[in-house]
Amino acid sequence: MPVIELSMSGRPKSGRVVGIDLGTTNSLVAYMSDNGAEVIRDASGNGLVPSIVYYDHEQDRLLVGEEARDRLITEPRKAIYSVKRFMGKGSADVQEDLSLVPFQIAPGSEQVIGFQMGDRVFTPPEISAFILRDLKRRASQFFGEEVSQAVITVPAYFNDAQRQATKDAGHLAGLEVLRIVNEPTAASLAYGIDKRDEAIVAVYDLGGGTFDISILKLKEGIFEVLSTNGDTHLGGDDLDNELITLVLDEIERSTGRRPDHDPGAFQAIRKAVIRAKHELSESQSTTIEIDLGAQHGGQYQRELTLVEFDRVVGNLVERTLGPCKKALKDADLDPEQIDEVIMVGGSTRIPLVRRKVKELFKREPHVELNPDEVVAIGAAIQADVLAGGRRDLLLLDVTPLSLGIETMGGVIAKIINRNSTIPASASEMFTTWVDNQTGIDVHVVQGEREMVSDCRSLAKFTLKGIPPQPAGLPRIEVRFLIDANGILTVSARDQRTGQEHSIEVKPSYGLTDEQIEKMLIDSFEFAEEDVRRRQLVEARNEAETVMRAAAKALEERAQGLIDEGERTAIRQALDDLRQAVAGDDYQLIRERIKALDDASQHLAEIIMDGALVAALKDRKASEVAEG
Amino acid sequence: MAEAAINTGRASQSECLYCRTQSAGPHFCSECGKIQPVVAGSDYFSFFHLPRRLCIDESELEKSFYALSRQFHPDYFMSASAEERQASIECSSMLNDAYRTLRNPVARAKYLLTLEGYKEAEKKAPPDLLEEVFELNMQIEELRAAKKTGDEDEAAEARSSLEEALIDLHKKLQGIDERLFALFEDWDSILGRDATADGKKPLLDRMSELLSHRSYIRNLVRDIKEEL
Repeated sequence: MPVIELSMSGRPKSGRVVGIDLGTTNSLVAYMSDNGAEVIRDASGNGLVPSIVYYDHEQDRLLVGEEARDRLITEPRKAIYSVKRFMGKGSADVQEDLSLVPFQIAPGSEQVIGFQMGDRVFTPPEISAFILRDLKRRASQFFGEEVSQAVITVPAYFNDAQRQATKDAGHLAGLEVLRIVNEPTAASLAYGIDKRDEAIVAVYDLGGGTFDISILKLKEGIFEVLSTNGDTHLGGDDLDNELITLVLDEIERSTGRRPDHDPGAFQAIRKAVIRAKHELSESQSTTIEIDLGAQHGGQYQRELTLVEFDRVVGNLVERTLGPCKKALKDADLDPEQIDEVIMVGGSTRIPLVRRKVKELFKREPHVELNPDEVVAIGAAIQADVLAGGRRDLLLLDVTPLSLGIETMGGVIAKIINRNSTIPASASEMFTTWVDNQTGIDVHVVQGEREMVSDCRSLAKFTLKGIPPQPAGLPRIEVRFLIDANGILTVSARDQRTGQEHSIEVKPSYGLTDEQIEKMLIDSFEFAEEDVRRRQLVEARNEAETVMRAAAKALEERAQGLIDEGERTAIRQALDDLRQAVAGDDYQLIRERIKALDDASQHLAEIIMDGALVAALKDRKASEVAEG
Repeated sequence: MAEAAINTGRASQSECLYCRTQSAGPHFCSECGKIQPVVAGSDYFSFFHLPRRLCIDESELEKSFYALSRQFHPDYFMSASAEERQASIECSSMLNDAYRTLRNPVARAKYLLTLEGYKEAEKKAPPDLLEEVFELNMQIEELRAAKKTGDEDEAAEARSSLEEALIDLHKKLQGIDERLFALFEDWDSILGRDATADGKKPLLDRMSELLSHRSYIRNLVRDIKEEL
């Protein structure tokens, strides 16, 4: 047996690699199969995992995805959603976002937001890690082996801190993040645009809660992001809210009461309008039917035509066009110069959206792939490229924001301009202001404005250990390097002595290594819970298979092969197992699977023998025929 | 072709980090083929194996950029040794920085000036523009004041004269660019004749001056546009 399998490039095969779309509203995981990239789905064929985490501190219970969403309405205080909006941010950055969600913010959230959930505090990377862990488990179960490496996508405009926070989340989930890839780039890969020699691509991404437009240039298999724009508070949820308001208004008009504080009624309305919205992507009109209960006037019913729907959501759709025009302007392009338009996000199924996009870009947009899945599909393709060392495709990303350093009077000196291809670097010379000064403070910021107060602080550090010299004599060269993931590292060298300086970069936002270590330790307790749940799911699945086989054998074949006593024993074992499956003790389920196996062993043998005899008979017949 | 360019570059002084071959090729060792750290003292021109000429075929440059990207990018060194990964990041960041600078004629000229020991010149108004600048600043002030008081007629008048001025400034910019490109050609031709420092200096001085005027006018244009 070979101990390590080596591939052609000499790299050890290190398990499966997946692509993950970690979305504001939903997340997905995809992989490269022999037939191309595919989304990994659950038993009911669903690929989307709602990006929602529920935590009940009294029971110390953690739920992710669908199960967490079910509790969002009934126990809103225990669920965190839209966590992507808070990645890599301090509380001051997201006042507006925070005012829109019911989350309780822990004290000390200036640098990294902490969500208070009972007696525990979770940071955005931790919440994201729970989602990633769920996706990782889904993929690991699918492959039957541990998945340890992933490519994760982020919006093209994500800054250093947000990218770093995403990487931290992967790390916390036990994933090695091979690459952080921009979502629009991933979408272009999914459509195979990289196969073209040269193209300018617009990616229109209208998701659940955000809108992004990106203009990319592809040339000879290399992608460059030319510009990005968008609206961080515009998405399918806003369309739903317009429809909900419409319905609430009508109910109020007919009953005199507005049922918006009744969670049950509100939820029923929400589900009904979402269904109507979906139906209007396929047909010209639909009926909204809601059972509101007696206190809200019973049954609500109304017809909604596509024309009416377009009128209700028209303004919102129109609002996406401004950012598109700005992105074109930033890229210095006319709409006619766009070669391909790609639609991403569930809301791009809406006919009005497609029409408006087509009008603006004067081109039929790509809608062939499932718009919810294109980003994950592209991430899987990139993951495959990175894992296999393919050279036919190369993503050249750019920094979304300029990098600068604070100079005298709080003015910013830009050292790396936005839209620079990464990796990118810059060197800056520093010196002392007073005699015998041994340390120099450096403040790194990200942003487009001139003053430090308008930019976002990235890191502060001190160049230490400078030998005492007259002011202005020391020459310390500081090198800033943005790596292929858009993440900054800093190094310093004394020009005179050639000595490397130790730099301790303290990120202004984000988590320190120690904090991450602590979180990793904290997460073990949940890992324990995860293992138990997985065991239970697996045991149940196996039980279902065994029960189905035994019941079938008993019904169809047992007659005449075994006596009544044996049949009763099998029936008993089946009942026992069925009971165990209803509970959640996986060990008990395992025991009863074994018991059923034992009870039906004899029957199975007889059936097998019978099959063998039949097979032999067939073979003899065919041999005779041939002979 | 970029592949060819890689081998025709100046010989590297360095020794291969891995196999200790002397004068291993630049970027990659001629013996073991492994990626090398950026050669100390290289500039953007030498990194692309280009002489310090100012007229550059930008589509050729782009081709080299893509070809070298495919050789240096960190994606291709994900399972290589730490030294190789470091070298790959260094080389590809240098490549990106160099390409960004050299593909733009103005950035390229500014970069050449710093290589030749010039500091970035202060933005200065061209002498023939001094009077106009004074006039323009007055008009900007007038527009600002008219906007404040809500005097539509006054604002419209200031606007139209500023718009006219913009057209004129754009023409001036064009003129500067033409003179600049003519200097590029002069520069390239004396480079071919092994020019001395004395021969280079007048050309570089004039370039530096033109660039300073250019920046000045561009700032002015930006200010006017903002106010409009």
